[in-house]
Amino acid sequence: MSSTAPADPPAQADAPATLPPLDSPEVVEMHRRMRRRAGRGRRLTYVAAVLIAAWILLPIYFVFSMAFTTQETVRSYPKNVLPFIPFSADTMQFFLESEGVLRGLWNSIVVAVITLVLSTVISIPAGYAIARYLFRGRDLFRLSVLAVRAFPIVVLSIPLAVLFLRAGVFDSVYSLALMHTALALPTSILVISSVFASVPYELEEAGQVFGATPFQSFRYIVVPLVLPGIAASGLFSFVLSWNEVFAAAVLTIDNRTLPALVLTSLSYSPDAFQFAGSFFLMVPSIVFMFFIRRYLFNMWGQVSK
Amino acid sequence: MRVRAWRRHMVPYLLIAPAIVYLALFFAYPMYEGLVLAVYDEDAVLPVRAEPTLDSAEVAEIPQGGALLILDRQSQAMIDDDGATDLLTEQWFRVSGTGDTGAAVDGWVSEARIRVRSEDAAGNPLAGTVRPRLGQSADPLTDVHAEPNDRSGVVGRLEQRAPVEITEVAVLEVWFLVRPADDPGEAAGWAPSRYLQVFDDGERGRVHRGTAGEFTTAFIERMVDDRFFGPALRTTLLIMALLIPLQLVLALVMALVIHARIRLSSGFLYVFALPIGMSDLAVGILFFSIFTGNGLLNSVLDGLGIIDGPFAFLTAETTNWIIFAIVLAELWRATSIVMVILVAGLQAIPDETLEAAELFGAGYWQRVRHIMLPLLRPSIQVALILRTILAFQVFAVVIALSGGDVVTVLANESFRQYYDLRNDNVASAYALFILLLSIASAVFYLRSVRAESEVRPT
Amino acid sequence: MAEIRLEHVTKSFGDKVAVHDASLTIADREFLVLLGPSGCGKTTLLRAIAGLGMADSGRIAIGGRDVTYLPPGRRQISMVFQSYAIFPHMTVRDNIGFGLLMNKVDKAEISRRVNSAAELLHIEDLLDRRPSAMSGGQRQRVAVARALAMEAKVLLMDEPLSNLDALLRLEMRAELKRLLADVEATTVYVTHDQIEALSMGDRVAVMRDGEIQQCDAPNTVYESPSNRFVGSFIGNPPMNFLDGTIRRSNGGVVAAVAHHEFSPAAEVRPLIEGLRGDRVTLGIRAENMETLTDPGPDTVPARVEVVEPLGAQNLLTVQVGGRLMKVSTHPTLPVAVGDGLHIRFPADQIRWIDPATDKVLYTR
Repeated sequence: MSSTAPADPPAQADAPATLPPLDSPEVVEMHRRMRRRAGRGRRLTYVAAVLIAAWILLPIYFVFSMAFTTQETVRSYPKNVLPFIPFSADTMQFFLESEGVLRGLWNSIVVAVITLVLSTVISIPAGYAIARYLFRGRDLFRLSVLAVRAFPIVVLSIPLAVLFLRAGVFDSVYSLALMHTALALPTSILVISSVFASVPYELEEAGQVFGATPFQSFRYIVVPLVLPGIAASGLFSFVLSWNEVFAAAVLTIDNRTLPALVLTSLSYSPDAFQFAGSFFLMVPSIVFMFFIRRYLFNMWGQVSK
Repeated sequence: MRVRAWRRHMVPYLLIAPAIVYLALFFAYPMYEGLVLAVYDEDAVLPVRAEPTLDSAEVAEIPQGGALLILDRQSQAMIDDDGATDLLTEQWFRVSGTGDTGAAVDGWVSEARIRVRSEDAAGNPLAGTVRPRLGQSADPLTDVHAEPNDRSGVVGRLEQRAPVEITEVAVLEVWFLVRPADDPGEAAGWAPSRYLQVFDDGERGRVHRGTAGEFTTAFIERMVDDRFFGPALRTTLLIMALLIPLQLVLALVMALVIHARIRLSSGFLYVFALPIGMSDLAVGILFFSIFTGNGLLNSVLDGLGIIDGPFAFLTAETTNWIIFAIVLAELWRATSIVMVILVAGLQAIPDETLEAAELFGAGYWQRVRHIMLPLLRPSIQVALILRTILAFQVFAVVIALSGGDVVTVLANESFRQYYDLRNDNVASAYALFILLLSIASAVFYLRSVRAESEVRPT
Repeated sequence: MAEIRLEHVTKSFGDKVAVHDASLTIADREFLVLLGPSGCGKTTLLRAIAGLGMADSGRIAIGGRDVTYLPPGRRQISMVFQSYAIFPHMTVRDNIGFGLLMNKVDKAEISRRVNSAAELLHIEDLLDRRPSAMSGGQRQRVAVARALAMEAKVLLMDEPLSNLDALLRLEMRAELKRLLADVEATTVYVTHDQIEALSMGDRVAVMRDGEIQQCDAPNTVYESPSNRFVGSFIGNPPMNFLDGTIRRSNGGVVAAVAHHEFSPAAEVRPLIEGLRGDRVTLGIRAENMETLTDPGPDTVPARVEVVEPLGAQNLLTVQVGGRLMKVSTHPTLPVAVGDGLHIRFPADQIRWIDPATDKVLYTR
């Protein structure tokens, strides 16, 4: 007979010790204790995760509640942080009605949208070329794009300001967008090329085997697959432009974007203005992070490769 | 990645062309300009010439601002006008009349020698008389030249007060024969008026603007001599020294937490990654809201009874607190990106490798030390390079927390030189300095890591 | 002394039960192979023994010690991983010595054991090299050497040969068998390759859907499967199954399959008489039938549908009363598609299966 699954294995003669039955209280208790001990690291991990999440979230919570409260609360001391800071649209209203804010918001949007469009349009062909073609200079191009990404913005802004001034396009949202596109382009190219690389070329070939032209198989097979990734890279460019403050402050005088406006008015603006401004600066990045979380590692993780 | 086999046609080059052109135009060219701004003074010296014409040989170069002795002056046809504003000009008239010998004379005379007697409706001179010269020894006759300058041949001479018709007008620029005032041995040479400033006595002056560029360390010297340079460099390095180790440790802990794949792991990843996309200015303000007099920290400390009344963290007397707040803000803002790099590095380690270590008796911290950290080395290297380069650029956080005066950093000084002091060159010198520090630190990290791996046999 | 005893071990991942109520005793120094198709739970069971994925319930005892929830490092076991899991940043020497270092074995002893393990695997000249430049076969040897250097009482192997190419696998299989014969460890070896399982194991435990179907010596598992699944999973081609009806006639019982009646061997007869329904399944291996060109007293006529010459034998697909089955024949037997043949089913080679439970009614 087969020795399959004996319900109660007979104690073997050479077994050094006989164990108590599986369902005996001592075994049950011992297993419970051992499992608890085995799970200790996991519980510690949870504690660490919650602590770090609190370290990230609490400051955001605080400054956001400062952005939506009364100006008296902003000025008051000590503040009753918990449970809640009284909600009011007062600070926000004050901020939005301050001079230059709406225009700054609009300028920021214009610059960011131009940056998004321009960097995406330029990056798509370049990213596709890196992902799909083997050509002389490919590695050099990739490497220079990688190197350019790490270049200090400071180094770029001042000569560009001088050049723009010389060319008579200084203090314009359009020239600022040109600069932001230059900043966004390297990351955009690398992300889009990694997105293209993740679509096997065999799919395009299959399309062509079944009679599509190269453009058709790109349009109907590749585009739908890469669209989310390209959207993520576009969002990245948008947020980069939205956040960028050094070049914006250097390249504009009257046509301030929001960060440039907030920065240059820091020394005299009231706290409520600053807190509401920081709220506006943060919101796109929070939304952005939500949409690109799948591409997080495409964007930054693969730096090392 | 599947790559199409080598193809001879130009498709890939056409595809990357827009990116290359764009980056050349808005990245490489400004970068080059920045370099030029920092080390090259484009109107540093004025060449002076043997003759008062641009095509004559240069006999000497006089630096911008140099004091001059003016030996002679002469007018010359206007050289191409590049928008020069402060030039000294002289008009010459073409006159016709009767010369001292009674013959008809037709030629050019400086406006200094002619008094205009009648003009047409548009104000152009039509006729005049030769001015008399004052003084006993003066030549009573006035030379008439073939061309509108002193050097051309004399075609005739006019008596004083002789009536002439003015048929043509030429505007000439004055050239000066100059010699450096402090160096009489130096050769004298001619220079047009537009580059010189002539003092009232007409005998001395200075070089107002050079025409030739010159490499100079003047801007870099001015940067180094700037009273904010030392503090800015020190603070930048101090912030880096405090921040980067802390950041590495915190990022590693965050990465290990994410890598442990606990429940809600993707939610935690989202929260941990939140600061990546955040504006440094917004984060600066966020930490300002915590550290300011009536901010969160004081409110909490007061509420807990630890302090009695608000403590002023962010004042000129508490720069250490400001630096602490800056480090904390940067730790909050920029640790996430290090975490993402490290998580990606951890994900590249196969599960079985870690399980093998566990099975062969390595506890958690032994696995971190013996397996994860060594295998994360390339990721850590990249993170360090990235973070160091970014740490040199800390800017908005500093302004938000210190106002940019009490505590200053290199990027802030670059901004100040450009924005407040309007000095492009020194601002560029700061930018160049930041670039050099970034490159140096990147090379340092790459070198130190390579050196270590070379020791081991491969 | 390292007997491994599994009692009612169960492990689920979410809704999916990976191992269900597995009980098994592996004797000291036994070589047990866990065999089954992918997803059958064999690796999960091995990992539960290793401690890399703790069981949900049940008990795992090694050498009389309850290790069910002990971390793997404290179970005094050793393992060869499917991907070898060589530490890429360490030299071969450090790899092999890693476990000993972690267990605080002194330096001289580490070096002795590393050298002897390397000698055993013929990789002495690789000791100071890094794994990055090594071939799959070399890495495999490092992984085995690392496991052997531990000199643990229990050695676990998770598909150690599956990443090698076919030729190397054949070579390594024989070498591993030779090597492990000298190692005094209880070995649990997971594979989906039945030839590996049959050729290496003292016993083979066949798993399916998280349950152990049969655990016996390789010959027994092959000759005498405990159920229809084992019969079909082991052997190439798989066992033929013919559905038949039970007919009870005066004093006897026969199974009717396609106008032919099969009489059970004497020892099976009472079991068939005890069946409740009137259906039964007959199982027989392709090489256990006799193929004749002329009809005999108890032959069944068949028609050749496909001929697959395999060198040492011809594999025929034949039609018997509307059912297809595989028959191996000697290559000298001349057959062509469409030929008529006559097949004889030796009574002692027929396995009788209860279709309600898929269990084989009589196993030796």
